[in-house]
Order: sequence, then structure tokens, then C-alpha cells
Amino acid sequence: MRDELMEILGRLRPELEFEKEQKLIDDGILDSFDLVSLIGEINECFDVEVSFDDIEPENFNSVDAMLAMIRKLQEED
Amino acid sequence: MTVNQLAFFVLFFLSVIIYYCVPRKCQWMALLGLSLLFYHLMGVDNFIYVIVTAVTITCGTRMMYRVDCRLDGEIRNADVKLTRSEKKEKKQRAKSEKKRWLAGIIVINLGILLALKYGDFFVHNANRLLGLFGMDGVNKLGLIAPLGLSYYTLQSIGYALDVYKGKSIPEKNPFKVLLFVTYFPQMTQGPIGRYQSLAPQLYEGHSFSYKNLSYGCQRILWGMVKKAVIADNLRPMAVGIFDKWTSVSGFTLFMACIYTTFQIYADFSGYSDIVCGVSEIYGIRMEENFQRPFFSCSLSEYWRRWHISLSSWFRDYIFYPASISRGAVSFGKLGSRILPPRIAKMFPAVFALSIVWICTGLWHDASWRYIMWGVANGVIIIFAIILKPQFDAVRNKLHIREEVWWWKGFCMIRTFVIVALLKVFPGAGSTMNSLRIYKKIVFEFQPSLSYEALFLNTESFHLIYAAVALVLFFLVSIMQTKGCVRDFLASKPVVVRWTVYLLLLCMIIFMGAFGSTTVGGFEYAQF
Repeated sequence: MRDELMEILGRLRPELEFEKEQKLIDDGILDSFDLVSLIGEINECFDVEVSFDDIEPENFNSVDAMLAMIRKLQEED
Repeated sequence: MTVNQLAFFVLFFLSVIIYYCVPRKCQWMALLGLSLLFYHLMGVDNFIYVIVTAVTITCGTRMMYRVDCRLDGEIRNADVKLTRSEKKEKKQRAKSEKKRWLAGIIVINLGILLALKYGDFFVHNANRLLGLFGMDGVNKLGLIAPLGLSYYTLQSIGYALDVYKGKSIPEKNPFKVLLFVTYFPQMTQGPIGRYQSLAPQLYEGHSFSYKNLSYGCQRILWGMVKKAVIADNLRPMAVGIFDKWTSVSGFTLFMACIYTTFQIYADFSGYSDIVCGVSEIYGIRMEENFQRPFFSCSLSEYWRRWHISLSSWFRDYIFYPASISRGAVSFGKLGSRILPPRIAKMFPAVFALSIVWICTGLWHDASWRYIMWGVANGVIIIFAIILKPQFDAVRNKLHIREEVWWWKGFCMIRTFVIVALLKVFPGAGSTMNSLRIYKKIVFEFQPSLSYEALFLNTESFHLIYAAVALVLFFLVSIMQTKGCVRDFLASKPVVVRWTVYLLLLCMIIFMGAFGSTTVGGFEYAQF
């Protein structure tokens, strides 16, 4: 799951080292356009539905946070 | 009464004494009483709308919270451990119930906003449409929107959405909610506060602090310099030119756009400084509404640094939900059929951005020229994002590095010119006039360095005062990029500090223009 997510993130912003970042949203590293593209890719790749309730900085600030959210959504499905 | 008048400051001084004399647990009540008093003195006699908002928000948010608590209880206290599908079913049922409460809150509060602020705009346009078919129109509603309606409605809906998402625990006491809705410094022009950061500060008690008093007074002083010396001296220059747009050149109109850009910024950010300063004296930290927007390298960056509380509200509560909505997904699928994948992937965001910019235009005013202004902003931002790879390729071919100072400077000037040109819409009196003014700027530019071409017949003192204050404003902005100017000032000896304060006070008294005729005394109060 991590590899797939890293591939999506790499395509989205190739210049970033995502594993090192812990405040992708809080520090404005990913903007709102990036976030919407990322949500679309996550929905498609992991067969989940990121909803309005899930769009919170703490769910997208780091790779681990995104993975935790995806796992939670998959469990709920 | 407006927040830049002497009467306001006299009453504010008294309010600070009251605030710190009452027991700490009663300070929020004092603040509520003062807020209602100030709201009344600002010219609002009808409190029914704020009361309806406070009551509906209190009831609706409590009901949503009750649904959440009931769900938690059902899952935790179930005699037999629930299966995953049973849990999912319960959660979905709870979510639907919460959605109904949320919809009720939004319909009532947005309904009030739509009826009071946009009712006549809709009736006017419906009548024009009916007229095309030879049918009689209906009478206008003639309702008057109270000051601050757009601001406190968005703030309240934002709070309800946060409770819906489980981000905030709702307040039980409707009077406390009424304070959150009507907190007087920010009520008429924002910043649009977030419940999690603002409400606890309003409800808890604060001890008097000399540092808060001193920093707050500094901020108020600086806000007054921006408002009285920059904005109110530039206003006659800008308005004078736009009023005579038929007889001046395109170049002079372009200059008016530049004056309007500085004027509106100084007016609105000056107000925000006063609000932050007043709140700081009460021990309340407000969200910053501006972050040196004229240092932005693109229009989208400009909007992230200008009226931040509104931009972030639209981002969190309209852009994100709209971009994952069914409409956005369908729009994205349509894009993937006809366009390259890179652009097609942007379609949901483009869909959401289009909605945001139409709403932003409408939020500013119920008129077609503001809708056009919003659409123009949206179109520029969308094209800048879509065409970024092409722009980058051209820049790389020219061997220009993005980080070099002169390129950054060029981008800042380019952004400023775009922002200034878009000021034609608020500057012109009507939609048709704004289009005619654009035509003049393009086809009758006629640049000239004569006094009349640059400033029309503005009295020179307005110009000199505004120019002096603008130079000071830019110096302070540059200092802000290196650190906190107020901390820097606080580190200086008392003689230096007081010399600065007295100079600022003298600037306000001797160089300030007073007697603004705008609604609420400030440009953004009319929105």
C-alpha cells in the first residue's frame, strides 16, 4: 500500500521527499489543487471514498497519516 | 458609529475598564453586552436576525452532537459485539440524521442571507427575464441586510460544519453562541473566525496584561495610519478619476486602478489591524487576515495572502466538498474523454474553483459586475495552473531561474498589475461601465507624465500624505519579512518607542483624512 501511495505522490510532486515531510498541509507544501488531485488518485487506486469529513490536515500531513486514513476507510467499507 | 471614530475609542476605553473590573467568569457576559451595545451603536436596531442565527446554530449543533453521543453509546454498550455491517449501518443512519440537522441550519441561515442581501438582485433579474416575454414583473422585496450579515453567517455555518465533522464540541449556552456570532470588533468585517480557535478565548476569563495593552494599542495605531492616512487620502483620488471616466485617458484610469488597489488594501487591512489590536487588549488573539499580499508571485498566492479568513472558509467549506462531489467527478470523467490525462485530472478542481469564484464574486456584492470580477479571477487562476508546464518550459528556454530576485520581482509586479486591473469592477459604477473602462484602457491608453494625467485634479496634499504613509508601509512590510516588527520595537528604549507612537499619532491627526462616506466607514463593511 505504501509503495502505491508513494508512486501517486511521486507523480503529483516529483521534487518532494514525502517520507521526510510531517506537515504537508500545515506548512502549505501541498496546496488545495494538489490535495484534490491526490484524493482522486487515492479513491481510484485504493477503491475507497474520501469524504468531506476526511478532508482534514491531520489526514494528509504525512505519508503515515494518509496510510492510516486509507486503512480506516478500507475497514469501514 | 464605526471603529475608526473617536466615539468608538472612548467607549472602547470604558469597555476595557468594565471587562477587567467584572469577575473573570463573567467577562464573557460583559463582552456579550458590549457587543450588542456596539452593534446597536453601529446603526443596527433589529437584532432578530442574529438571534435567529444564534438559536438555530445552538439547537442544530446540539442535536448533531446528541446523534454522535447516541451512536457512540449504541456501539460501546451493545450487549453483543456488533458486526462490521451493523456498525456501518448505524453510522450511516447517524450520518443521515446529522445531515438533516445541518441542512436545516444552512437553509435557515443561508436563506436569511439570500433573502436580505440577494433578494432584490434575483427579483430584478427575474423581472428582466419576464419582460423579455412581455410579462409583468414582481415588486422588489426592499429588505435591508444588517451590517456584518455576510460575515457572521459564514462564521456560524462554518461552526455548524465543524460540529458535523466532529471537529468541535458544540456550546450548550445560546448566549455564549450569541457572543460567538456577535463579537463586536470582528462582526461587521471579519476576520471570519473559526470556532475552535476563537470561541474558547471569548468564553474564558483574561487577566489584565500590560504587554497586551501596549501591543494592542500599537496595532490600533498602525491600523489607523493605514485607514486614515493611506486609504482615506487615496480614496478621493481613485473615486475622482472613476467618476470622470468618460473624460479621462485609459492611462489615468489605469492609475485609478493602482490607487484603488492600495486604498482597498489599506482600508481593509487597517480595519483588521484595529480589530486585532482591540481584541489583543481583551486578551483575545484573532486570526491574521493578511500576509503582505503585494509580495505574491501569482494571483492564486495573492488570494492565499489576502482576506485569508474568507479564502480559507471558501477552500474548506466549498472548494473541498465541491471538488469531491458527484458533479465534479462527472465533470472529471467528461474531461478524461476529450483531454490529455494531466488536464483531465484537474477537472474536478477546476469545477470546484469555478463555483468558489462565482460565490466569491456574489459574496462581495449582489451584482453582475462582481460576478464578472469573480469569474475573471477564476479564469486567470485556472489558466495559470493548466498552462504552468508551458510557462515553465518558456522560462527554462530563456535560462531564467525561478529563485533569482529579479524574476521574483517581475512576478510580483505582474501579479500586482493583474490585481489592479481587476479593480475596474469595484471602481466602476456599473457592469457596462466597467467593460467600457476596460475598452478605454486598451484602446485609449495615451500615457503621459503630466500631473493631470497621473492624478487628475486631486489636491496635492492627499497625494503627499498618502505617498509618505505608503513608503512607511512598504518599509514596515519589508521589516515584517525579517521578523516581528512589534517585538523589534519593544526591544528599543522607552524614548524611541514613545517617539514612534507620537509620530504615528501625529500622522493620524495631521495627515489623516476623516469623514468617510462609505457604508460602515470602511469599504468591506458594505459586503
